[in-house]
Amino acid sequence: MEQFVVTTIRLSVPLIFAGLGGLFSVRAGIFHIGIEGLMLAGAFVTVAIGSALGSVWLGIGGAIAVNLLLSWVYWFLIDRLKADMIIAGLGLTTLCVGGTAFLMSAFFNKRGSMTSQVRLPQPVVGPQEGLLAYVSELSLLAWLLPLFVLIVWLLLRRSRLGLQLAAIGEYPYAAEAAGVNISRSKLYAMLITGICCALAGAELAVGGLAAFSENMTNGRGFIALAAILFGSLDPIRTTLAGLFFGLANAVGINSQIYAGASNVPRQFILMLPFAATIFFVTLRGYASGRNAPRVS
Amino acid sequence: MRSGLAASLRALVPIALAFALGFALFAASGYDVAAVLAGLWQGAVAAPGSLEQSLRWALPLAIVSLGIIITLRTGEFNIGAQGQLLVGGLGAVAAPLLLPDLPPAIVIPLALLGGIIGGALWSGIAGALKVWFNSDEVINTLMLNFIAVLLIQWFTTGPFKDDSTRGENASTPRIDLSFRLSDSSGVSLELLVIVVIAALFAWLLVERSPFGLQSKLVGSSPRVAAWQGLRIRRIHILTYLLAGAFAGLAGALEVLGPSGRLVTGATPTLGFTAIVVAIVGLLRVPGALLAALFFGGLQAAILFLPIVTNLPSSGLRIIEGLVALLITAQFIWRRRRDSASESEA
Repeated sequence: MEQFVVTTIRLSVPLIFAGLGGLFSVRAGIFHIGIEGLMLAGAFVTVAIGSALGSVWLGIGGAIAVNLLLSWVYWFLIDRLKADMIIAGLGLTTLCVGGTAFLMSAFFNKRGSMTSQVRLPQPVVGPQEGLLAYVSELSLLAWLLPLFVLIVWLLLRRSRLGLQLAAIGEYPYAAEAAGVNISRSKLYAMLITGICCALAGAELAVGGLAAFSENMTNGRGFIALAAILFGSLDPIRTTLAGLFFGLANAVGINSQIYAGASNVPRQFILMLPFAATIFFVTLRGYASGRNAPRVS
Repeated sequence: MRSGLAASLRALVPIALAFALGFALFAASGYDVAAVLAGLWQGAVAAPGSLEQSLRWALPLAIVSLGIIITLRTGEFNIGAQGQLLVGGLGAVAAPLLLPDLPPAIVIPLALLGGIIGGALWSGIAGALKVWFNSDEVINTLMLNFIAVLLIQWFTTGPFKDDSTRGENASTPRIDLSFRLSDSSGVSLELLVIVVIAALFAWLLVERSPFGLQSKLVGSSPRVAAWQGLRIRRIHILTYLLAGAFAGLAGALEVLGPSGRLVTGATPTLGFTAIVVAIVGLLRVPGALLAALFFGGLQAAILFLPIVTNLPSSGLRIIEGLVALLITAQFIWRRRRDSASESEA
């Protein structure tokens, strides 16, 4: 049971970091499909720089720097050059899928996957045996999650940027008329998304496993995006949605381990988060009526 | 289209830029750029059998992109071609596996129909949810892609399982040779004829039919379309069904053609590349066919490249990603308004 809870948390943490980060962009009216790619870039750069320099913190710092650059490029393309955000977002993700695999091969001479020389500290040491032993598997970022959620909540609800984003999302013309620099707010939102995706990727790669493998995000960025919609663009509900998706994933994984415990094929359990997302997005779309502003 | 030249440049500038950036990265990483270029040329065009390989990948890309043209012109962002393709493959593999004793003249049309229906249904889910429930099609088609992958995984490890396969390569048993439309090369007269028919059908539909005009109007100015009394919901639903039908047909041809069975991890990037193909082709049928040949060549080169250079094949994914990233950006002149360039924020 405790193992199950810990597995759920470990699967949820990257989703929540990416989801809350993506929330800034989505609130600014950007349906940020590139989150998937940014997470992957974050995971790779953390492992690559962290291993090369022997410090997980330098690795994460590098991941944040790379993601800030990528986020700026994406902002420049869709805001200044009016590129289509969905197509360019898919392109950003493909670029990161190809780029991380390419750089791993070019600079580390590894194909498929590489082990990391560094990992995040796991600050709480549980008892060696017994049910509570699993808590020692949680990384520092997992323990910092509540603080992170609080910071995001404060940023969105209390900061100037957060309020501007809310205005842009609800009434862009009114916001502009009131003197909000929409372009710049979008840029800030996307940079925050980039930073959070770097943390999400770092947790994924060096939170428990200490390894990077090609395309290791495997759709988690898209699920994080779904968690945002599932959470109705609210930070607390997005967090809960991330936990729910982590739970569904943990159930899927565990049904694999405890084969025979249920007759439902594990693929159907793994479908749950996706099906639930469609259901909830539909419910929300229906409730918002035909004239409501679209998310994407 | 004011000027054909300007329009082609609009597609060619981002591609050239993507190649330049990609090759700059290859050079910076210490690869021999001349050797990579030579390898690309060989893998796509010059080496024995490479043209055939290019065509093998161009055919499914072309068919899927035809459906994407139809949706993007209507202003709908159906990015679920990947899932529709897979479910189409599932619909196609059913008849040959369940009715092996019937003659090919019955089973092959059934399989093609199964593929078309499978793809159309999968796309129709997203379409129906969008039209009747105002549900976001981008997120829904993305989610349906993942559900499709899991569904295929279940079929190839459960009901339709071939015991000798597992993991990424888990697949259904091979279908009988008499039901195949091509050998593993993926190029045959039958496949070519089907693709030509599909392209003609799409061209007539998009350029010469009332539906084509109406859907374009719905995409570019929905209000005008509503004032004209067009039945917008019906046009939207038809759009989704058609897009899914094309993707499903491509999935069926994959099963009846080069693959000969339904494989779990097959063609994971085809649906995405087809979107790029449609946009590079400027949402026109002839343009998309040309772009499909180009990206088919690139795909063939990706598979060939490891033989002649040490450049990892992921290098060409970078170029593909850069093309998608840059292709809708307005570099020099303002783009004509069309459905692909309109952000719907």
